[in-house]
Amino acid sequence: MPSIRATGNGKRGASRGAPLLRLRIGFVLIAIVLSFFGARLVQLQGVDPRSYAAMAAAEGAARLPLEAERGDILDRNGVPLADSIRGKMVIADPVLTAGTAPDLARLLSDRLSIDYFKTLSALRGRNTGSRYEYVARRVPSTLAGDTLAALDDAGFEGITLEDDPIRDYPAGDVAANLIGYMGTDEPLGGFERTFDKQLAGTDGLATWQSTSGKGVRIPLRESTLKEPKDGTPLHTTIDRDLQWFTAKVLAQAVQQYRAESASAVVLDTRTGETLALVDVPTFDANAPTAPGVKKEDRGSRAMSDTYEPGSVEKVLTVSSLIDAGKAFPRQKFKVPPNLARQDRVIGDWFDHGMIRLTLAGIIAKSSNIGTVLAADAFSPPQLVAYLQRFGLGQKTNVGVSGETQGLLKSGDVMTSQEKDRVAFGQSLSVNVLQMAAAVNTIANKGVRVSPSLISGSAVTDEGMTVGTDVATRTRVVSKQAARGTAKMMEKVVDPEDGVAPAAAVPGYLVAGKTGTAQRVEAECGCYDGSTTVSFGGFAPADDARFTVYVVVHAPRVDGGGGSIAGPVFSRIMGYVLGRYGVEPTNGKPSRLPVEW
Amino acid sequence: MSSPALQPRTRVSRLAQEAVDKARLSVVPRVRSRAPRVPFVTLVSLVLVAGIVGLLLFNTSMQQASFAASSLQSEADTLAAREQTLRMELDELRNPQRVAQAAQSMGMVIPAAPVFLDLATGKTSGVRTPATRENAIQLLPPAPVIPAVLAPEPTIVEVPPTTETTTETPAAGEQPADAKLPGTGKNKQGNKQGKNRNR
Repeated sequence: MPSIRATGNGKRGASRGAPLLRLRIGFVLIAIVLSFFGARLVQLQGVDPRSYAAMAAAEGAARLPLEAERGDILDRNGVPLADSIRGKMVIADPVLTAGTAPDLARLLSDRLSIDYFKTLSALRGRNTGSRYEYVARRVPSTLAGDTLAALDDAGFEGITLEDDPIRDYPAGDVAANLIGYMGTDEPLGGFERTFDKQLAGTDGLATWQSTSGKGVRIPLRESTLKEPKDGTPLHTTIDRDLQWFTAKVLAQAVQQYRAESASAVVLDTRTGETLALVDVPTFDANAPTAPGVKKEDRGSRAMSDTYEPGSVEKVLTVSSLIDAGKAFPRQKFKVPPNLARQDRVIGDWFDHGMIRLTLAGIIAKSSNIGTVLAADAFSPPQLVAYLQRFGLGQKTNVGVSGETQGLLKSGDVMTSQEKDRVAFGQSLSVNVLQMAAAVNTIANKGVRVSPSLISGSAVTDEGMTVGTDVATRTRVVSKQAARGTAKMMEKVVDPEDGVAPAAAVPGYLVAGKTGTAQRVEAECGCYDGSTTVSFGGFAPADDARFTVYVVVHAPRVDGGGGSIAGPVFSRIMGYVLGRYGVEPTNGKPSRLPVEW
Repeated sequence: MSSPALQPRTRVSRLAQEAVDKARLSVVPRVRSRAPRVPFVTLVSLVLVAGIVGLLLFNTSMQQASFAASSLQSEADTLAAREQTLRMELDELRNPQRVAQAAQSMGMVIPAAPVFLDLATGKTSGVRTPATRENAIQLLPPAPVIPAVLAPEPTIVEVPPTTETTTETPAAGEQPADAKLPGTGKNKQGNKQGKNRNR
């Protein structure tokens, strides 16, 4: 038996070798293979797992970014001032399109109204090896779809479409200075930028497994959907039609008087809502970079530029004096031809001898000397305190970025000469809305309502909440003081006693005040000889509903606030009263004497 | 001696033999199923085939539905885009600028001051002011001034008075013969003749 076994062993050993050796070799081989697997595992999982996972996911996966629709900007009646519509971008893959570039470019440029040569260079690839070139951006979906279908019919390849929403401003230049405009991908000004966070929304994403390049979904396979969150619409207090009308009337005045620029504001007296805030010159928000559009024209001059308000400010001084019990409308003043005050002489815009004017007459005739004499009852801090409560020297914070706060010296450092000049509207500067809100205080029976441009509330990019919800009301002067000032302001448009009969609106009691101020040259800080003419007022004077303030900068035709800004005021006021159905109040006109 | 010695041994072996006999396993004869095998196999095959075919059909129909959904989705997208384009057109038609231009071209103007008519009493309030052409507002910005290069002086062609041309009608009739001359040259010639005649 043992011998047999031995022989058997010997036979096997010859064919398979020693079992121990075999085992070892086997183990070594297995170890080698396993170590390769291990190394690969470390490479896949340890070194760069994400890119491999992404590559695996990308295999046969379709991704569709879902663009959130940008929120509309609406006027007070819900009419869109800016809205978003679906659009497409046309993308070329130069590897596929370079061969047929000329024919393809002709077809595309014909259909999409784009430049032939730019299209040609895109189709040939602006950089070598590029596989993604923009041919056209913001093409309306229908047009893009039709064009792509036509290309397919003609047998062209390599053109694809991707979502690219279009921002449209249906009324073009209406309120463009406030709304702002969009760049290629980002907001570049106005509300579009200030409230971008609210308007933009959040993009979504859909992914699924796809069978073919057409993106048809494989049923029951993994798919994800993250719904896009559309932007929230922004409701403004602007009345589009009124804004348009105001802009047209103002533009006509700018042209007629060859002025440099002009602004106008229409406020709802009771709520402080800004119904119109117009800047001329303006631009078309659909074409912000059109030739001839200056950079300064794209912002709101009314909010960002300061100027000296001139005589319109007198109504603030006078109402403060009445409120403080230091003056009354029938108070009698002897107004000399000129008034020497320390270093300089104060004069009036009209030559006169010694005239005897009431306080009402001082306002009606817009006498600087008379105002200074009346304001002598005030110390500088007293006057400044009142003006600050009228809102001068502080931003209105309505949501327009780049707003200036104007310039109002503190009462403690103000000299008496400066106070004299501030009393009739010099040596201080304001922005247009500030001044309109101040005049509106008189109209609103002495209560200042902070102006708003946003209906409800919205948060600016600086984190400030603005809008009608956060509007504040503060009493600045007593009801009697405001009423008395309004009565005096009625005299301004009086055809016999006043300086601005052209500002009257037939049938209505109108209270207003003209202003003609010298303009400060920015570079030298001195008066350059040009003027800013303005008119601020409200109607109906005995129960005010609207405050309109018109400012025209640097007219090259001789005139003052009454003759240039007055007619513009009258036109706008007449329109807004009719538009909002405010009937004449049939109140008694002011019978204050202007002289004694 | 041997038999007594043998006795127990045989007894043991007999007992063991019995135990072994008891413990021995024996092959149980196979129980053959009397039931026919064909129906069962057919049933299972049928279920299998039906399952596979059903799954295939189900899958196909799902795929079909997916294609349908895809094409319906693109149709919906197209229609939504169309709606938006129409809405945009509508917004452009509602543009106050366009409405005002249309109204003004029909002779309407925006009045300087409103007048109210109370429908119940038939009375008006407000001052009735005529709306005249002066009330119309300028709707379009002034046309830009064309540079002199692009707006050359108009060429003025003096035409001879018709009373004197009666004698010249044959000359006019001859003109086709001169038709080869450039038009301008011909006119100039005519001018010169006309001027001469006038003088």
